[in-house]
Amino acid sequence: MTELLNIKNVTYKLNLASILTTVSCTVPTGSIVGLLGANGAGKTTLMRIISGIAQGYHGSVAINGETRAADRKRLVSFSHQLDGANNRAHLGQIVHDYQTLYPDFDQSAYQQLADFLELDSKKRLGQLSKGNRKKFVIALTLARQVPLYLLDEPFDGIDGMSRKKIIASILKWKPDDATILISDHHVDDIANLLDAVIVLKDQKVVATAQADTIRQQGQSIEDYYENIYTGGEQHD
Amino acid sequence: MQFNDKVPIYYQIKQYVYREIIVGHLTAGHQLPTIRQLAVTLTVNVNTIQRALSELIKENVIIPQRGKGNFVTTDQTILTALKQQVITSEFDQLYDNLAALNIPPATMVQQLQIYIDQRKDDQHD
Repeated sequence: MTELLNIKNVTYKLNLASILTTVSCTVPTGSIVGLLGANGAGKTTLMRIISGIAQGYHGSVAINGETRAADRKRLVSFSHQLDGANNRAHLGQIVHDYQTLYPDFDQSAYQQLADFLELDSKKRLGQLSKGNRKKFVIALTLARQVPLYLLDEPFDGIDGMSRKKIIASILKWKPDDATILISDHHVDDIANLLDAVIVLKDQKVVATAQADTIRQQGQSIEDYYENIYTGGEQHD
Repeated sequence: MQFNDKVPIYYQIKQYVYREIIVGHLTAGHQLPTIRQLAVTLTVNVNTIQRALSELIKENVIIPQRGKGNFVTTDQTILTALKQQVITSEFDQLYDNLAALNIPPATMVQQLQIYIDQRKDDQHD
C-alpha cells in the first residue's frame, strides 16, 4: 500500500507551551486508522495541522505528496464541530453554505446520509440534540468527496444507538480509495473498524501498530492502548 | 455479530463464513453479498472483509467470478473437507482441555457417550 499521509518531525507550540513534539507517522491509502490518546494529548491539534488550518508548526506534512497548506485543504474533509456556525441557521442553509464553500461537496451523497441519519433540514442547528448535531457533522464531512477524512471524536458523549448509526454511515459512504483518520479517547467504540492505530501521549507518537498484529498476540486494542498509558506511569 | 476482541477479525469472519456454509445458510454456488454490504452487516472495515475473502479464495472455498461477485464453491470434495476441518478443530480443543485434566482417551470416549445419552434424555423431558 502507498502512503496517503506522511507526517515528519512535526513540532508545534502555542504561547510557548509545547503541544506536539517531533511527531512522525504515516497512514496508508484506503485504510481506517485510529488516532488514540487521552484528552489533551494533542489529537485535535494534529488534525488541525494536517487539514491546513493550524499554521506555524515545524516539520512537514504531506497528503498525496502535497505539502502546502492551501493544497492540503482541498484534499481533506475535517469534521469541524460547527462551533462558529450560527445556532439559529437552518440545517438546509448550512448545507447550502458547504456547497458554495467546497466544490467537492456531493449534494446527493449528503441527501442519502441525511436520510439515513434521519436529519431534518428544516430544523435549526441550535435545536439539535447532542447526538443529532454529531450526526449532522458526520453527514457534512462525508458528503465531501476527498482522499482524506479526519473525524475528531465523532462519538464523544452520545448514546449507543446514535453511535451505531454513525459507524454504519462511515462504512456505507466511505469512498473506496478514501482514507480515514479517526480520533477517540475511548477505543472500544471503534476497535472493529480499525486497520491500525497511532497512539499519542505527552505530545508524542509513542506507538503505531496494525490491529491484526495486536490481536495475533492475544491482546485487544483496548488492552494495548491501556498498557501504553499505564505502563508509562511506572517510569514517572 | 459479536467479535472476540483478542482475535484478528478477518480470522473470525472466515470462521463465520465456514459456519454459514456448514449449517446451510450459504449453499454451494450461492452468491455472497458485496464486500461493502458485508462490511456494513458485520460492522467492520472493508479491508478486513477483503483479507478474509482473499484467504477463502486461496482455500478455494469461495470462487470469484469477474464482474459478477463471489460464490460458494460447488466442489463437494472441498465442502466435505471444510466440514471435517471445522469438526476436527472443535475436537482439538475438547481433547486438549480434557488431556490437560489428565483424563485418558478411553475415559474421554466413555464420558462422551454418557454425556450424549444425558443430553438425549434432557431433550425428551
